[in-house]
Amino acid sequence: MKSFTNANPRDLAHAVTLIRQGRENNRSVALAGGGSDLVGMMKERLVTPDVLVNLKSIKGLDQVTLEMGGVTIGGLITLDALASHRLVRRQYPVLAEAAESVATPQIRNVATLAGNVCQRPWCWYFRNGFKCLKNGGTTCYSVTGENEFHAIFGGGPSYIVHPSDTAPALIALDATFRIAGPAGERMVPAAQFFALPTVDASRENVLKDGEVLAAITLPPAPAGARSTYHKILDREAWTHAVVSAAIVLEMDKDVCGRARIVLGGVAPIPWRLPEVEKMLAGQRITPELAARAGEAAVAGARPLAKNGYKVPLTRNMITRTLVAIADRGLRNAD
Amino acid sequence: MTRRRFLEGTGAALAAATAAPALAKQSSGARALRVTTPSTTIQLTVNGTARRLAVEDRWTLAEVLRDHLRLTGTKIGCDRGECGACTVLLDGKPVYSCSQLAVWADGRSVQTIESLAKEGELNPLQRSFVEHDAPQCGFCTSGQLMSATALLNATPNPTAEQARAAMTGNICRCSNYNHYVAATVAAGQPRSARNAPTPTKISSAGSAVAALNVVGNATARIDAAERVSGKATYTADVLLPNMLYARVLRSPHPHARIRRIDTSKALALPGVKAVVTHDNCTVVWGAGSISGGAQYNDEMKKITKHRRYAFNNPVRFVGEPVAAVAATDRHVAEEALLLVAVDYEPLPFVLDPEEAVKPGAVQIWPEGNLSPNVRNETQPIGTRRGNVEDGFKSADHVFEDRYSTSFVHNAQMEPRASVAAWDGDKLTVYTPTGGIANCRTDMARDLGIAPDNVRIVCHYMGGNFGNKNQNQDADLIAAVLAREAGAPVKLELSRKEDFIGVHGRWPTAQYYKVGVARDGTLQAIQLRGFSGMGPYRKNSGNIAGVEIYQCPNIETSISPVYTNRTVSGNFRGPEYPQGFFGIQSMMDDVAAKLKMDPVEFILKNMTRQANDQTPYTTYSLDECIRRGAEAFEWKKRWRAVPGSDPGPIKRGAGVSFMAFRAGLGRSSAVVRVDAKGKYWVHVGVTDVGSGAKTTMGLIAAEALGVPLSQLEVVWGDTDRCPYSVGESGSRTTIMTGYAVVEAARDLRKQIAEKGLPKGDAVLIASATPSPTLQGKVRSTFGAHFVEVEVDAELGRARVTKYLAVHDCGRIINPLTAMSQIKGGAQMGIGMALHEDLLYDRRSGTPLTPGYYGARISTHRDAPEIDVLFIESDDGLGPFGAKSMGEASKVPAPAAVANAVANAIGHRMKDLPITRDKIVAALAAKGGRA
Repeated sequence: MKSFTNANPRDLAHAVTLIRQGRENNRSVALAGGGSDLVGMMKERLVTPDVLVNLKSIKGLDQVTLEMGGVTIGGLITLDALASHRLVRRQYPVLAEAAESVATPQIRNVATLAGNVCQRPWCWYFRNGFKCLKNGGTTCYSVTGENEFHAIFGGGPSYIVHPSDTAPALIALDATFRIAGPAGERMVPAAQFFALPTVDASRENVLKDGEVLAAITLPPAPAGARSTYHKILDREAWTHAVVSAAIVLEMDKDVCGRARIVLGGVAPIPWRLPEVEKMLAGQRITPELAARAGEAAVAGARPLAKNGYKVPLTRNMITRTLVAIADRGLRNAD
Repeated sequence: MTRRRFLEGTGAALAAATAAPALAKQSSGARALRVTTPSTTIQLTVNGTARRLAVEDRWTLAEVLRDHLRLTGTKIGCDRGECGACTVLLDGKPVYSCSQLAVWADGRSVQTIESLAKEGELNPLQRSFVEHDAPQCGFCTSGQLMSATALLNATPNPTAEQARAAMTGNICRCSNYNHYVAATVAAGQPRSARNAPTPTKISSAGSAVAALNVVGNATARIDAAERVSGKATYTADVLLPNMLYARVLRSPHPHARIRRIDTSKALALPGVKAVVTHDNCTVVWGAGSISGGAQYNDEMKKITKHRRYAFNNPVRFVGEPVAAVAATDRHVAEEALLLVAVDYEPLPFVLDPEEAVKPGAVQIWPEGNLSPNVRNETQPIGTRRGNVEDGFKSADHVFEDRYSTSFVHNAQMEPRASVAAWDGDKLTVYTPTGGIANCRTDMARDLGIAPDNVRIVCHYMGGNFGNKNQNQDADLIAAVLAREAGAPVKLELSRKEDFIGVHGRWPTAQYYKVGVARDGTLQAIQLRGFSGMGPYRKNSGNIAGVEIYQCPNIETSISPVYTNRTVSGNFRGPEYPQGFFGIQSMMDDVAAKLKMDPVEFILKNMTRQANDQTPYTTYSLDECIRRGAEAFEWKKRWRAVPGSDPGPIKRGAGVSFMAFRAGLGRSSAVVRVDAKGKYWVHVGVTDVGSGAKTTMGLIAAEALGVPLSQLEVVWGDTDRCPYSVGESGSRTTIMTGYAVVEAARDLRKQIAEKGLPKGDAVLIASATPSPTLQGKVRSTFGAHFVEVEVDAELGRARVTKYLAVHDCGRIINPLTAMSQIKGGAQMGIGMALHEDLLYDRRSGTPLTPGYYGARISTHRDAPEIDVLFIESDDGLGPFGAKSMGEASKVPAPAAVANAVANAIGHRMKDLPITRDKIVAALAAKGGRA
């Protein structure tokens, strides 16, 4: 690894100051949450910061606190703590399931929610140091290369898929992100936090340089909400989602009220399906409706040469998951 | 603004946040920190002891534990948080210590493997690991133990599923997952409820197997305690005084001429002591390219046309070594690599063997891309029997098809390393070798020194799987650097370098044409095969499989072809799993088309005599298949109509069979006894994880007529051990074990004649037998039965039942034998369903060189594997033992692939059978998906 200085901020304001000072002195600065992905990238010299701001040294940024019926979750909470938190498991199971599905216990014990949301892509061109749109280059190698795991929606000019499991769950829960920066704090709805490559192909979200994702707020869990995170992997464990779905259905007996469906592994940002959500609103979830929902979900897909399988896979996954959620209600009360 | 000005003079906030960088001598005696490298003093509680350490900000926790606190029980398997070997408990929770900075652990507590045993006594979890034979090579064991420890702290009586979930982040390449889980679950049970595992053993009908005293009893490894306590010393744990650290710079191009290398800036970097390139190092790596000849044949290495040097120009694959540096610490060495300036002229390249033999293809060698054989003749490998054209004419049905297999890396948990030290003219090399004798011969020849002046030491090594029974270029480079620098050198490869710079299984394309009579009897088999060797032919490139069928007319033509990819080499049954997958998928397909039960097809067509003409010493293939089918409930699990299960979740069953060499050959052993009746057995083994040390001990104890506790095995050092054939080709038990028997018998005779020695005298016997088979063929036999469940809509394939049946002759140690069989089978599942080294075609760059990308199997990918041994004793070898190490890898991918075909009614012809391929195939069919 290239040599760097580790800096332990006292609090969020101090962290923002450290970043600003570093940049003012022409030092490159990186933020470390859990650090496991960052350390790996630094060993590969994909990122070579002069200063590493260790956010874990800030106390109190990892709590789950009740606020007006909803919750605020500190960005530095570990995925393990989040997945095992009783309130989160009970009221926002899609988020607990998503957090639990990430990587391995060793990684979940240190990885933070904010870090997972802001995770860099796992595209093998990016990770093997190709000079692509994500690291100062002007091209996306996957387009005419190996694109088995790349985007079928929203791609171009970069075709990465967003690697986070928690991000689709947070969007499905209508989360709001609290961002701290040099100009103060701002709130951004989760759905607007992630940015398509047409906005800025070198980034995956709207965080500006010098900003920190500090906390995430969830509105109260609606009554009768049934939710799940279905993740399809390429081994039985550890890998990022081939495709995944965060689904939240507000059910009144077996009739679906409001629906939220957000996909992972298919697009450069977590991919919401508003047309499918409209199809389900006010309906009983029958196998036929679930099948039509699956078809509708992939209607606009634009696969690349080697990822066409993601279209039937996504369609089948959505159908299967909707039927499973509907069945759940028939079998037991929430 | 220099870094120093920034550190000293910038905002107060930063100065307050970090300690001022300072020169500090640490109590451990490590080197002083350099003043320009940011450093911090931290407080860390390690295994209950408070420590105050000055650390560079960039040091990982693993680095501090291993290099600076000398707690080397924690291992580094990948240094990227992808394998789990480095797992420690941080404030009680398992983390990857390679992916945590030491400065982040300030004020916290760390628990490592060294904390488990109390005053030399293993704790109950460690004892359970020993009893259940959890550690094979032992390199992943520390990490598995720490994860299991955290689990038992939170959940004292875990289920198997809970154990798998907790240990998912720990990979075991020996693939001993079943035993790790069983050991962890048992540790949570009351003592009375624990059952040490034993495989089912039944005697072959044709061969009486009389019970023996020591051999045949389940015996814990004699070095299991070292492997579960972090005390086993692997090559990267070796620390010599004044030792330097070395790294290798590798080609980013798949094919390029090196115009110029400028090493001046690297040499000028403070701390750099030597830099070598092809300009100042012309050492030939004889074992690196042998035209498919025997690796142990020195004459072959001298006449090989396509010589492989330690540093080659042109470079012919991404990852080929270009330069190496030795420096005072590994960070300096890494920085020095970045200062080596190489001017490349990129050349066109070719990646696929079938492309490489087309007219007009890029020529990797002037003589063309078809590799010459040991006589420097450029022709394919081939066999012939009868006349296939006549066979096809007389057949009722003729079928043709193509099958392919991918490059699968050995991916042993211990990354390649080598420590070389000169003492005058004498060279000592610590290296993770599978053959200390062969390694010594190779080093002596390549460096041009006398073999007596070379000492090879390897007491523990983290996995071999066939490709380490000779020296490696890392050994040569370390030796050359050590000579240049005048100091010992430890050369380390990163996991990525190990993936692309060392060797894996050759990928193949196989074209079969098969003629059968309408009753299923084979009339003719033709195979045209292509093996991708990389730009050097390190091993044979052959494709086996045709020979296990009885058929009057056969013709094979296999072309080992050069490509600009990572070099291919031996890997657990080097030419077998690929060929067995190809031909047994083909035959399974033929059986399906004839509407025959594949078990019946095999019984009709399997080999009964070697090459249809030479008898086997004992034969039990029919028993393996029949008894296995019965135990597996084949008729219930196999679908007569493939893909006929209703609904998207479909099950099916597949079968494969094997016959594999178990021949005799030359090896050596020395046995001695002292006046007190204590015995020593000297054998040139390193025990790659197979349990060879214990096997040799058991054989010696049986042959000497003494209990195992009365003897000690001396191993792993050419200064103390005689020649051994080396641990590849499944020969150690048969050949070195037989030498042990002969030496023991000789010693027993001496004792009978002269009595035990007196005082300080010893009696010694040595043996170097070279037995032959006198016209018969000796073979291990087996059959694998696999049930899979495939989700036809989501493409997920998982093994739901696995039975491995083997006749490996007499089983010397049922405990370690079970681990070997299960491990090989699990590796086969991974080869069938997951593993590949994918290349970007435009740049010739590998894209998946690591545990994560190559999709190596995890705990959750490992089903329970049942083992049934059919024992036989043909009166040959040590107590009738036959080969085992490779036996279960060889048929496994074929059985899994056949099960998938039976489940979904569609033949997957290209390994690995990944989810995307299943979904795409079924979607194209219009069936489900």
